[in-house]
Amino acid sequence: MMDATLLVYALYLAAIYSLMAIGISLLWSSVGMVNMAHGATFAIAGYAAYVASDWMVPLVKAWSTGSEATVVLAVLVVLVGMAAGALFGIVIYLVAFLPIHDKPNFAVRSLIVTLALNLATVQALLWSFGPQQKALPRVFGSGRIDLFGVPVRADQGITIVTTVALLSLVLLWLRYSRRGLEIRAVMQNSEGAALCGISTRWTALPVMTLTGALAGLAAVLLSQSIFVNPTAGTTPLIKGLTIALLGGLGSVAGAVLGAILIGFLEAATGAIPFLGQRYVLVLQFAFIVLVLLIRPRGIGGLLDETRE
Amino acid sequence: MAGTPVISRVNVGRRPDQFTLKPEGGHTWRRWRPPLMRRHWLAWRGSYNPKSLRRERRLADKRPLWWTLGLGGLLVATPFMSDQFVNIAAIFCIFSAINVIWTLIVGAAGIFSLATMAVVGLSGYAAAAANVYFGVPWPLMIPIGAVVGLLFGLLLALPSTRLDGLYYALLTLGIAEICRVAISQIKALAPSNSSINNVDSFIPAGWYLQRPGLLIGFVAAFVLLLAALLVFRLINSERLGLLLQSAREDEAFSEAIGIDYRRARWWVFVLASSALGTIGAFYAMFYRSISLAVFSLDQVLLLFAMIVIGGLGRSEGAVLGTAIVVLIDKGLIGLGPLRIILVTFIMIVVALTTRDGLTGVKAQFRAFRNRKKSERRAAQTEKGGEVMPEEATEIADKQLVYRRLFDKRLRDGLKRTITPELIAEHRTKPLGQHSDALDRLLNYFRREEMPDKYAILRVGPLKSCSYRVMALSGSPGHPPRQVDDKLYPTLNEAYHAVFLLRVNDLLAS
Repeated sequence: MMDATLLVYALYLAAIYSLMAIGISLLWSSVGMVNMAHGATFAIAGYAAYVASDWMVPLVKAWSTGSEATVVLAVLVVLVGMAAGALFGIVIYLVAFLPIHDKPNFAVRSLIVTLALNLATVQALLWSFGPQQKALPRVFGSGRIDLFGVPVRADQGITIVTTVALLSLVLLWLRYSRRGLEIRAVMQNSEGAALCGISTRWTALPVMTLTGALAGLAAVLLSQSIFVNPTAGTTPLIKGLTIALLGGLGSVAGAVLGAILIGFLEAATGAIPFLGQRYVLVLQFAFIVLVLLIRPRGIGGLLDETRE
Repeated sequence: MAGTPVISRVNVGRRPDQFTLKPEGGHTWRRWRPPLMRRHWLAWRGSYNPKSLRRERRLADKRPLWWTLGLGGLLVATPFMSDQFVNIAAIFCIFSAINVIWTLIVGAAGIFSLATMAVVGLSGYAAAAANVYFGVPWPLMIPIGAVVGLLFGLLLALPSTRLDGLYYALLTLGIAEICRVAISQIKALAPSNSSINNVDSFIPAGWYLQRPGLLIGFVAAFVLLLAALLVFRLINSERLGLLLQSAREDEAFSEAIGIDYRRARWWVFVLASSALGTIGAFYAMFYRSISLAVFSLDQVLLLFAMIVIGGLGRSEGAVLGTAIVVLIDKGLIGLGPLRIILVTFIMIVVALTTRDGLTGVKAQFRAFRNRKKSERRAAQTEKGGEVMPEEATEIADKQLVYRRLFDKRLRDGLKRTITPELIAEHRTKPLGQHSDALDRLLNYFRREEMPDKYAILRVGPLKSCSYRVMALSGSPGHPPRQVDDKLYPTLNEAYHAVFLLRVNDLLAS
């Protein structure tokens, strides 16, 4: 069942990438900034989860050693990661959005500030934790679940399920809640929304917190199969950014579709013997270059003129 | 008394202390312009001093002076510095050259390309390979680099008009990554560690990393920087740059008047890529080797930090930002990872406080000051005889404008000095030995204009007269008019009544 395993792996990658890409895409379309510090959020959340699990594992082990301990630990680690991501999202909001969001050149300036934040965070993590890689405990276990005859790695399965569940929750929240309505209004036309009395500042804060939490979730989930290190955020950032652009900035459906495409491409490239893992990035970029040449605004993106 | 008249310095205008040349009146003014060019490189402005009526010549744009001072200072000072500093200065020159050309792409052409280092690296590899594997002598490496850069630029320019902004940035980032991986996979090109070593160079092999070699390297890098600045100037301030400037201001309009700005952008991009290719060949020669580190994302981000701190779109911004970042990054090596944090801190502060980098601070401060000025004017509720800016254009004699402003300020000051004690003082001694405040007030009253000036009329015979206050008409032949019916028994009381009337007028104005 090589193909089925590959399929699950592809879906697993797609889940994590879509968490990152939707964060970047949402932020761009509602707030109008490219969050280059998304990778830093990822790394911070990974380290927070690492520190928290380091501290919690003995406590939980002392309380119980059964399966409920694993569940509690998993939930706690995920929550800590998301909380750290959300907090860092608020930090980005305070540093890169609040002071300059109504000033000229906001798009470029916020990009610069978030880029600087990203670099600074990576260096600060390098400074305080050192370049060594840290392994998160396997909170989801390392067994395999038999799903319709397909053996699925537990962490991959849980990742896919968690992501789908949380993303649906987020989309439902965006669709049906009052705040979600406001965010969508800002996405469609920020000036019109402001004229209707929707505060840009108070809409940006939940968006930043939410996207930070999503990045935190992605960090905890991805850290089940790779290690946490200071530069761990760079690859997810680049992938998230490319997928967000591939899907068309501002289009959630496009981001999900882009993430699935890229996930499959990555899984397939890694599996084909003569290509291998080191060609993954090249093929991805080649694919994206091709897509952008055919559709300059990505899969789901509209041309600005059309939108207007 | 004969001979040339002595001209004293006369302070006229808003910036009287500005340095001006005082050419002879009969002197013909010849302005030099570089061959084959239509524009003068120094912005001399001629004018007449309104007071001394002397001819004056002023350098309107002083940036060439700062360039000469800065770069000349670097050139003169570097040979006396330590080996480490000479090396840093050379690296500064190379990075500045790259950034100046990159500024041309990002600022002038408005193409957000992140493939700068990819062009540099690819041409560097091509030139180095040509030298090491095909035995091409080192002077030919430079044209090879330029040609490779040109071809690569042509390739990169294809999608540049179709995609915009971020999408193109991403595309170029992807292409840079593809280049890096492609080169690391070509085993024949670079057997060890994907780097080509032992490249022949303008620095003789025996002198490499020795003092004379470092100095040669620095001078060559300095010449490279000058060449990059020349390219910037030739493209940005001549025809192509002006076409692009119109496109930057309004794309639709420039297209409507027949400017093919896409073609101009394409030209700038291709020319700049060729220049970057030249720099790439130089880079390989300078280090006598080239490795995959040129393609790394960190390098691109550091370069981006440089042009961002200095200010996007200006050559002086690119050079200033490079100087700051290179000094921190290479000069303070002892700080370790802290120096990157320092760079990012500067980046954040600059991005949060300035609109376009450090070199835009002056314009930003001027805009801020003008905004504050107009805010203050708008907040002003009373006019008080002062000339408002919109009516000032109607008054030819600007002395009058200032006179009314002065008068208003004087009256505002005097109003504050009027107290019951002052009035009591005048009542007791209308004619004399006044305090300073009262003296100033009376002096102001004496200077008032003739129309409506008050006078005292004696009524009745001299022995038993009384006094009445009149107001002069101010025009000959028209008699004074009576102000009120009051009669004052003594002259002093009449004086005081006039004083009170005037105080009243002053307070009401």
